[in-house]
Amino acid sequence: MARVYVSSVIPAAADQVWDRIRDFNGLPNWHPGMRESRIEDGRPADQVGCVRNFKLQSGEIIRERLSGLSDYDKSCTYGIIESPMSVTNYQATLSLMPVTDGDVCFAQWSADFNCAPHDLAAVTNLLTRDVFQSGFDALKRHFGG
Amino acid sequence: MASIVQSTVLPVPPSDVWNIIRDFNGHETWHPGVASSQIERGYLGDMVGCVRRFRLEDGAELREQLLALSDANHSFTYCMLDTPIPLFNYIAHVRLLPITDGNGTFWEWRAHFDTPEDQLEQMMALVGDRIMQAGFQAVHALLNPADPRPNQINQAQQ
Repeated sequence: MARVYVSSVIPAAADQVWDRIRDFNGLPNWHPGMRESRIEDGRPADQVGCVRNFKLQSGEIIRERLSGLSDYDKSCTYGIIESPMSVTNYQATLSLMPVTDGDVCFAQWSADFNCAPHDLAAVTNLLTRDVFQSGFDALKRHFGG
Repeated sequence: MASIVQSTVLPVPPSDVWNIIRDFNGHETWHPGVASSQIERGYLGDMVGCVRRFRLEDGAELREQLLALSDANHSFTYCMLDTPIPLFNYIAHVRLLPITDGNGTFWEWRAHFDTPEDQLEQMMALVGDRIMQAGFQAVHALLNPADPRPNQINQAQQ
């Protein structure tokens, strides 16, 4: 099992950042790498078990199932059903934690997955840089960091 | 049961912060509220189950027991055994998480405890400000004596 972990400090309160990222159908609203998202079968985006179907900027399609959503912990857990990446058993969590002595919050994004050894470096690099860090960089820009 | 969580961000990796706070008997060297401390029975400060007996600057004497220590997770958990202060069933948990974007540390300190209703506000302030925030500020100052972080300190006092 491989693991990728990226964390950052976003210059806004956790509640504000959560408002921006909570919508499981809202990736294209804040992540520059994603576009054209929809929830399959007309289900609500905060119904645990729903599936989002979205495109990368490259046009490739990813389908992910929401497996956990917590407004209390400000965390969202999901797994890949279908993607161009050669991974299996992929589960990722995006979460926010308040920093109580400043008007910022701590953000973590991690994924556990299986992957063929010869694909590992490329997949790790893609997730670390183009998905997770790129998303955090966009949030930092949005909130003025 | 009351619970409180405080957190801060430090500009160095978790291993550097861990070097300062890991020793269960080391709070006398970095925490401004602790005047003196010793581990009972000649145990070592990283033996899970050891008890630290320490004196605060105001003279109060407390005993706390180390319940868990993890170098892998940069975390420890402890409880209060004896205290002249009305903090009952007090359990605290400290953990450090890496900030991969910037090579820093997120430090979270949480505690829960029971206390009489009429003491709650005072005990929350004691734990939140005089234990947790004072500890954060002391470690900030140790790591960067030139930057007392006035903005954050002011915000914490508001």
